[in-house]
Amino acid sequence: MTPCAVTTGFFTLGKCGTMAVAGCPSCGRALCADHVTEGGLCPECAAANNRFGHPAAVAAYRRRAYRHRSAGVYQDTVWYTGFDSYDRAAFDPGAAASQDYLDDGDDALVDS
Amino acid sequence: MADGHRAAYLAFDRFPSAKGSAVHIRHMAAELFERYQGGLLCVLGGGDLPAYQREGGVEIVRFTEVVPNLLDRAEAFSAWAAEQLAPHRDTLELCHVRDPWSALPAMTTGATMVYEANGLPSIELPYAWPHAAPATLAKVRELERHCLARAAAVVVPSYVIKNAVTDRGVTPDRVHLVPNGADPAPADVPRPPDAPGRYLIYVGALQPWQGVDVLLRAFARLADLTDLDLVICSSVSPNRARPLRRLADRLGVAERVRWHYQLPHDDIAGWLAHAELSVAPLTACDRNVEQGCSPIKVWESMAAGTAVVASDLPVVREVLGEYGRLVPPDRPAELARAIRVLLEYPQVCRDLGENARKHVLAGFTWKHARARLADVYDLVVRH
Repeated sequence: MTPCAVTTGFFTLGKCGTMAVAGCPSCGRALCADHVTEGGLCPECAAANNRFGHPAAVAAYRRRAYRHRSAGVYQDTVWYTGFDSYDRAAFDPGAAASQDYLDDGDDALVDS
Repeated sequence: MADGHRAAYLAFDRFPSAKGSAVHIRHMAAELFERYQGGLLCVLGGGDLPAYQREGGVEIVRFTEVVPNLLDRAEAFSAWAAEQLAPHRDTLELCHVRDPWSALPAMTTGATMVYEANGLPSIELPYAWPHAAPATLAKVRELERHCLARAAAVVVPSYVIKNAVTDRGVTPDRVHLVPNGADPAPADVPRPPDAPGRYLIYVGALQPWQGVDVLLRAFARLADLTDLDLVICSSVSPNRARPLRRLADRLGVAERVRWHYQLPHDDIAGWLAHAELSVAPLTACDRNVEQGCSPIKVWESMAAGTAVVASDLPVVREVLGEYGRLVPPDRPAELARAIRVLLEYPQVCRDLGENARKHVLAGFTWKHARARLADVYDLVVRH
């Protein structure tokens, strides 16, 4: 039996292992009946082609996007300026200790 | 312009302004631009400041966009500064920066970077923005670490900041101490016309870490000295003084506290020189103890020949040493007692002031600070 080679799992990733019925025309990996997506592609190749019809393709897409985002070189300044909306909310004008602090100088970070 | 600049100074700070940081920028940038016969100065604008100025070989560009959120504003400044630097990419040799948001665009130019760490936003930000989460501040700290690691040299004004910077992974051999300084006040500086008879003076901003509340509480304990006033020369606007004015009211000293706001820097020398004592009541908070600073108010008081009473913190001890009176921080009673004792011994006061003045003249004027900075430039340019 040729086992299905699609990566599955949420916390612990592993191979699907069910009996394969087809092969992905793009990457050639063995696929079980559950993991054949539209066009006969495996979920990862489908995700790479922006086809998210199959649930596994969505997971593959997210994994791929996360790895892509987080694998930037360490010098990538975009990574460092990655403050999210939660971070930013604390610096909204209304979030200061006192409105009195906002009329001037709040942009001055350091005052020797 | 036909030729690109060889040097740039970037600061996420309004310039000029009445604050100590502006005095610092003025002297440090002057050294850089003198060395390279001009350069590009990228700072924050606002108020009536022009967005563009050209002064001889120096081009001053100011970020004037109104962005309410501080982080958004810092990032917008970074992007804007990168655009300003882009035309000079091929010619830039040295970028001098004061904060991470200035360092990020400077790093992309490939020029040698000197990072002047007067403060660390990851420590200072929570004072003005108490809702900033620890996770957010950790990101800011990581950003600082990233920028500091890429600087050819890090310039710090005190040993305490030097420790904070080396904690962030900078090797000690790249950290150079350039203490702040002060220019000596002219000997015959006139007494300000509206100056009261005898007065104590506080000069500076009014953030909680400055300890002006401690000073007001100490002053309330000197109620029996009816001929003594307290003059507060605030470098920030009257709005910011409101909580402190309310405190002065509650303490019953409001009538004896004279407030002056955002006085021109040249006027301050007169106020300092004719005061009985200058007080620097810095509190023992993380900003002063862990991050450090080099309080220009103390330097300028010393240069004016006025005796200083200040909090006994490592950052102050480093500056003032034996040339002033140190008192435990955050203790109004101790501060009041030290002031009272010094006022009773005017000769001791005069000697302290005079010795402090000589000490500054001998090695801590802005000229000395600029020479120390020039040595750092020599070092990084040689490598």
